[in-house]
Amino acid sequence: MTDLKDRKPILQLVGVRKTFNDFAAVEKIDLDIFEGEFFTIVGPSGSGKTTMLRMLAGMEAPSEGNITLHGERINDVPANKRPTCLVFQSLALFPHMSVGQNIEFPLKIKGVDAASRKARALELMAIVRLPASYYGKNVMKCSGGERQRVALARALAYDPEVLFFDEPLSAIDYKLKKVLEKELKDLHRETGKTFIYITHSLEEAMVMSDRIGVMRAGRLVQVGTPEEIYAAPVDRFVSEFVGEVNVIEVTRAGEGWQGVDVPGAFRAAAPHDQPQAHSAFVVIRPEYMRFLKDGEAADNMLEGVVYNEYSLGSRIQYQVRVGEKVMLVELSRANALPAAANRNVRLGWDVADAISVKA
Amino acid sequence: MEQDKLRTRVLIAGWTTFVVLLVYLPIACVALASFTKARYFAFPVRAFSTEWWEKTADSIEISMIVQNSLLVAAVVTVFSVVIAFFGALAFARYDWTGRRLYQKLILLPVFFPQPVLGLALLLAYSALGISTSWMTAVFAHMVWIVPVVTLIIAIKVYGFDPTLEEAAFDLGASRLKVMTHVTLPLLWPGIWSGALFAFLLSWGNFPLSLYTAGADSTVPKWLYAKMVAGYTPMVPALGTMATLAAAAVLLGGGLVGLIMKKARAA
Repeated sequence: MTDLKDRKPILQLVGVRKTFNDFAAVEKIDLDIFEGEFFTIVGPSGSGKTTMLRMLAGMEAPSEGNITLHGERINDVPANKRPTCLVFQSLALFPHMSVGQNIEFPLKIKGVDAASRKARALELMAIVRLPASYYGKNVMKCSGGERQRVALARALAYDPEVLFFDEPLSAIDYKLKKVLEKELKDLHRETGKTFIYITHSLEEAMVMSDRIGVMRAGRLVQVGTPEEIYAAPVDRFVSEFVGEVNVIEVTRAGEGWQGVDVPGAFRAAAPHDQPQAHSAFVVIRPEYMRFLKDGEAADNMLEGVVYNEYSLGSRIQYQVRVGEKVMLVELSRANALPAAANRNVRLGWDVADAISVKA
Repeated sequence: MEQDKLRTRVLIAGWTTFVVLLVYLPIACVALASFTKARYFAFPVRAFSTEWWEKTADSIEISMIVQNSLLVAAVVTVFSVVIAFFGALAFARYDWTGRRLYQKLILLPVFFPQPVLGLALLLAYSALGISTSWMTAVFAHMVWIVPVVTLIIAIKVYGFDPTLEEAAFDLGASRLKVMTHVTLPLLWPGIWSGALFAFLLSWGNFPLSLYTAGADSTVPKWLYAKMVAGYTPMVPALGTMATLAAAAVLLGGGLVGLIMKKARAA
């Protein structure tokens, strides 16, 4: 998906807010979701992402603001009248029905005759890569991955314009998850439908999404493509959410920054304008850090002692103590530091690889 | 180790046999007494005959009493299950203010002494000018049985995942279709065992019927009356028959439940 600008918004949220008693689960959200995009809302538990999804799916009504679908206000349209469908975290497969009956459920509700239902169910089973022999199988006897596919086929049988996913892969083991993530992305391409996905794992979001919205404490902190989120996180929260990073607390000092929790002066790129900020954080990814040879200089430098090293497979991660603080350095195995333990080292990184983010 | 296991098994077998004997011996005695040839209740039974079973089966009076009991039990079952089903949803499915109070209040009648409850209802009926009959007995039974059935169905409701209802609703089903296609089929085993309990508890109830059935007699009421005055071996015969019938209902009901479960799993 290249030109989001050319796309029409399908779902729009304007000033959407949801409160439970005095607690605001979702705060003033403005967001356009475009037709056919794979949009992922990512955030830690309690960030309000599930509440937001439930509002989009029609299971909760917003306390304030408007949700529109194709420009029409749908705030009070119940879930069974919306052309949207949610794949639940628990999948919510009907345990008293077979695989086929589960998939046919929305068709049966619509009053489709048995023969057409079965034909469509078998079609969908092929799409989600379920063998046709599973048609009569007890759904409770299916494996985790198979159930996932049944839930997906059932949602597709409803033929929704927008499909919602509430962390459906969270209980699946890592290897299968990777397979299913890619299948989901393929399915998105094949169906051309709008997918809205919720997860607490940014890694999962990165793999599949066209755009990601990061939520924190009921607010959308940042919306952007996976590249934008990765390269230019808007604040410390987002940067740490993206993965393991080094974060240095700093205060402004002329053109650059003065370290607060480690000694030294630092310079960093500022992808998001924040000219007046007095204090900030400088974020550096572990893979952008390197050990400096004697006499070698870099834009930014720190001295420390290697405390521990971890193998990450093709890469090695070093924990370096700088005073009280621990910094992470990741090197490819080919560049490994020999006899690393307890070694005094100098860390270096370039201005372009460090970014300053707001506190 | 092996010896320990053996000892465990012997102890379990011994203990359970003891408990079963303890519970069934009195019933066996009643059954034994019904096969006597004599007119009076006396042990040991000297001569056996099926005479009193035949007489019981042929008795018009007893057939009417059995019909009364069946009618009361059937009506109690239908009303109790309907009331208890929705009561159980309120008990276990929904979160609402006053739920905890309701959960306690609904269970209280189970522990209320039944003779006192029967007498209280009798007084209430006469104060309201309602003449007692099998219909007033139905109401009395329900006061005690609805809470029991509510609890039985509520246990099933606790294990019910409400997101299944949401999923069905989200897939286009109306509230009614969610109920008929998802909620009811999944709670069916609980409803079924609730119905069996309702029927059997009503069938065997004596203290409430005694006070509130008026001139209409039921099986336990008749048994009591005949034991107090005018004993015949038809008393143990009918008692045994009633017990066997209850066992048949229970076994049959269990079998129906099992067959339905099998049919669904296939």
